[in-house]
Amino acid sequence: MNRLFSKDLWSGLMFAGFGVLALVMGSKLAIGTAIRMGPGYVPRMLSYILIGLGLAIVARSLISPGETIERLRWKPVTMITIGVVVFALLFERAGLAPALVCLIFLAALGGQEFKLVETILACIVLTALCVVIFKLGLSMNISIIRGVW
Amino acid sequence: MDLLNHVIQGFGVALSFQNLLYCLIGCMVGTLIGVLPGIGPVATIAMLLPLTFKLPPTSALIMLAGIYYGASYGGSTTAILVNLPGEASSVVTTLDGYKMAQKGRAGAALSISAVGSFFAGTFGTVLIVLFAPMLTAMAQKFGPAEYCSLMALGLVAAVVLASGSVIKAIAMVFLGLLIGLIGTDVNTGAQRYTFNIPELSDGIDFAPIAMGLFGIAEIIGNLEKRVGGRHVVAAKISSLWPTREEARLAAPAIVRGTTLGSLLGVLPGGGPTLAAFSSYTLEKKLSKTPQEFGKGAVQGVAAPEAANNAAAQTSFIPMLTLGIPSNAVMALMVGAMIIQGIQPGPEVMTKKPDLFWGMIASMWIGNAMLVIINLPLIGMWVRLLTVPYRFLYPAILLFCCIGAYSLQNSDFHVMMVAIFGVIGYIFLKLGCEGAPFLLGLVLGPQMEEYFRRAMLLSRGDATVFLTRPISAGLLIVTALLLLLMVLPNFRKKREEAFHEEG
Repeated sequence: MNRLFSKDLWSGLMFAGFGVLALVMGSKLAIGTAIRMGPGYVPRMLSYILIGLGLAIVARSLISPGETIERLRWKPVTMITIGVVVFALLFERAGLAPALVCLIFLAALGGQEFKLVETILACIVLTALCVVIFKLGLSMNISIIRGVW
Repeated sequence: MDLLNHVIQGFGVALSFQNLLYCLIGCMVGTLIGVLPGIGPVATIAMLLPLTFKLPPTSALIMLAGIYYGASYGGSTTAILVNLPGEASSVVTTLDGYKMAQKGRAGAALSISAVGSFFAGTFGTVLIVLFAPMLTAMAQKFGPAEYCSLMALGLVAAVVLASGSVIKAIAMVFLGLLIGLIGTDVNTGAQRYTFNIPELSDGIDFAPIAMGLFGIAEIIGNLEKRVGGRHVVAAKISSLWPTREEARLAAPAIVRGTTLGSLLGVLPGGGPTLAAFSSYTLEKKLSKTPQEFGKGAVQGVAAPEAANNAAAQTSFIPMLTLGIPSNAVMALMVGAMIIQGIQPGPEVMTKKPDLFWGMIASMWIGNAMLVIINLPLIGMWVRLLTVPYRFLYPAILLFCCIGAYSLQNSDFHVMMVAIFGVIGYIFLKLGCEGAPFLLGLVLGPQMEEYFRRAMLLSRGDATVFLTRPISAGLLIVTALLLLLMVLPNFRKKREEAFHEEG
C-alpha cells in the first residue's frame, strides 16, 4: 500500500517516462559524431541520463518507499486548468471581458466556498482594473468585447 | 580611481527620473507580494516580464531587481506583526519577531529589521562593486570547456544547497535541460521536439513555464489545503525606537547576519532562505542565553533579516559577472536579459557599463526607498493582509493569463501556462522542486552550445574538460559537492539547516 503510493516511485517513473518520450520523439534527429554533433546528440545523451536517474529513484523507492502521495483533490486542479484553457480560447475570439468572466467564475468554483455576489463584484472590479492598466495605461492592442470595443 | 568613476556613472544612470520611478515601482510591487502570502517573486517577475519588453533594458532590470529584494523586505513585516511569513525567507523571523510584537516591542522589531536589512543591502552592494570586476576579468579567460564545467558546477551546487531530495533535484535539472532544447537547433537548423508548432521553433519560452510552475501550481496547492478564514489581529505598534539594550544586542547580530548572508548569497542555490535559516542557527549557538530564542530574542530578528537581504543582493554577483543564475529568480533575470538582446556573462560589464553599474547603484537606492516605504506605511501593508485569499487568487490567475498572452500576442502561451500548471501540480504532489528545473531550462541551450563548441575544438576528445586546468578544477569541486551528499553527517546538517524549529 505504502509502496504503491510512494512519491519517489512515481517521480522516478515520471523521469524515466520523460526520457523515453524524448528518445522516441527525437528518434529521427541525426546523432552526428562527437566532433560534429548532429541535433540529436545532446538530446539523446540527456534522455539516457534521465532514464538512468529515473530508474535509480524507482530502485531506491523499492528499498525505502519514503513519503506517500497525499490525497488528490480534483476540484481545484480541474477548475483552474479549465479556467485558463477557456481564457486562452476566448481571449482573441470574444475579447477580454467574456474571457475574464469565465476565468473568474471557474476559478471561484474551484475554491472552497463559492459566493455569487462576491464573484460578480470581483469580475466587475477586475475588468475595470484591466481596462485601466492594459488598455488605457499600456495601450495594449486588446479588445474588451470583440467587435464592440 | 576607475572604480569610483564607474560608481558615479552608475548613480548617474540610476538617478534619472525614469529609472528612479521604475525602481520605486519595483520596490512597491516587491513589498506588496512580500506582504501577501501565496504569491512569490518568481511568479510575479514571470508575470510582469512581458510588460518590460517595451522598456529600455536598464529600466526593466532595475524594476525586476526591485521586486526581488523588495519581497524580502515585505515578507518580514507580516512575519513580525501577524506571525505570517510572506516569503520563505522570513519564516525564521516569525519565531522571535512575533514574540517581540506580543511583548509590545513590535515597533522595535520592525525598525531593527529595517535597519538591519538596509545595512545588509548596503554591504551587499559594496561587495558587488568590489568583486564583480575581479570575477569578470577571470571569466573573460574562459573558453567553452570552462563555461560548460562552470555551468555544471552551478547546477550541482544549486541542487546540493537547496532543500529536498538531491537525486530528484538532479533529475529535475536534467529534465529542465532537455525541455530547454525544444526549438530550432542553432547549428543545423533542425527542428527539435517542436511538433510543427511555429511558436515553439524559436525555443520554448520560460516565462509561461515559470508562471505555470510557480504561479498556477501554487494556487492549486493552496486551494487544496483548505485554509479557513484568516483572522488577522495585528500587534499594536507603539514606538519604533529600540531600547539601548535591544540596540546593543542587535548591532553585532546584524553584522554577523550580513557577513554570513553575503557569503551564502554568492553560492549557487544559496539565496535568502538558506541565509536566514543558517544565521538564526548561528546566533542561537553564539548566544549566552539560547533559551531566549523563540521567546522574543532581538538577535533572532536582527540576524536573519540582515542575512536574507545580504544574500538577496550578493546572489546578483554570479548572475551579473558569469551569467550563471544561482536561484530561480536569477534564472528569470538571465532570461529577461536574453529577451532584451543582452547575452549575460562577463561582457555585460564591459559592453553595457550603463546597465551594469546603473543596476548596482539602483539596488542601493532601492534599499533606501524600502526603508521609507516600509516603516511609515506599515499600517497600509498590514491592512492588505486582511484581503482573503479567495479575492486574491483569481486576480493572480488573470494577470498570469494576460501576461502570458502579451509575450507574443498569442493564446498558445496561455495554453502553455495551463499545461505547466498541471505539470507543476504533479511535481508538487511528487515532491519534486521547480527551481532546479527552471535553472536547467534557462541554462540548457547555452550549455549545449558550449559543450558542442568545446568538443569541436578538441576534435571530439571529451577529456578536454579534464585536461584544461580551470575546467578540471571546476569539475573536481562539482564531484566533491556530490560526494558530500553521500556522507551521512553532512546530510544530517543539511536537513537541520532547513528544518530549524520547524
